[in-house]
Amino acid sequence: MKKIKLLVIIVGVAAYTGYGQKFITKNGYIKFYSETPMEKIEAHNRQVNSALDITTGDFVFKVLIKSFEFEKALMQEHFNENYMESDKFPDATFTGKITNLSAIDFTKDGKYEADVEGDLKIHGESKKVKEKGTFEVSGGKITGKSVFMVHLADYKIKIPNTVVNNISEDVQITVDVNLEELKK
Amino acid sequence: MRNFKITTMKTWMKIFLILVALGIFGAGLGYKFVYNKPHTNYEKATADFSLAGSELFSQFKGSTQQASERYTGKVLEISGKLNSVETPDSLTIAVFTLDEGMFGDEGIRCAMLPKHAENISQFIGTDVKLKGYCSGYNETDVIMEKCSIIN
Repeated sequence: MKKIKLLVIIVGVAAYTGYGQKFITKNGYIKFYSETPMEKIEAHNRQVNSALDITTGDFVFKVLIKSFEFEKALMQEHFNENYMESDKFPDATFTGKITNLSAIDFTKDGKYEADVEGDLKIHGESKKVKEKGTFEVSGGKITGKSVFMVHLADYKIKIPNTVVNNISEDVQITVDVNLEELKK
Repeated sequence: MRNFKITTMKTWMKIFLILVALGIFGAGLGYKFVYNKPHTNYEKATADFSLAGSELFSQFKGSTQQASERYTGKVLEISGKLNSVETPDSLTIAVFTLDEGMFGDEGIRCAMLPKHAENISQFIGTDVKLKGYCSGYNETDVIMEKCSIIN
């Protein structure tokens, strides 16, 4: 009986101290890449907010659409005004969870494959997504990376007929976040 | 009659050639000024609003929708005490810390133009005025891009 009590206390303390251990960044990176035989378009955003709770596996990121930088000013203008309507929908978010949390040891250095599932909200449209990524733990820091495709029509993003050959219907999104422990 | 035909054809030819030349010229202008138009020079741009950083932040935090309609996508001049400078990857970010939330410090984060990146560190702990493009509020911070030092 004593042993059980002790075990309950140990488990309780472990759960308590570990609970809500958050890793965050405000300088995450997201790339948008579209390729057609006519044109390659890419945009970069280096002020992405992201947070990971290593005990619950909750993972979120939030990105401001107007922070995406294109090589050409005209593309940036079209992206904001015509496609993303960034005045109406100023941000895109992902709110989800790591579903194979038991396969990842965030306290031990190494590279882990992760399955992430959740809601991706772009252009005001929310969709359930299931993507793969990696988390690399090194010296107390966690780097999360993922590359996935987004089908523009799923998010009600319309490509006008005049540029239908220049913009791909499916764009590639690259996420790269260097998370550091949130000190309280 | 025959001569007349030739001269009219020539006139048509002339008109056609002028149109082609205008077309090429127009396409060239279009390419240079529309398709390849330069990005706004935010260092030289006139600010739409000039206000204290703390004021901007509290407006965004208090009534996000209204502040967003007013300031997002605009050139802003903000002033306040600079708390720190972060240099993730190739970026230099000037940070004004104005509050604390669930995810740590909150405030205004200004990505500096390369030309102004080196000098910004000397203002840590002092008052500084920055000008840049406001891309919005992400529920923890107000984000500014392409910032330059004014004072």
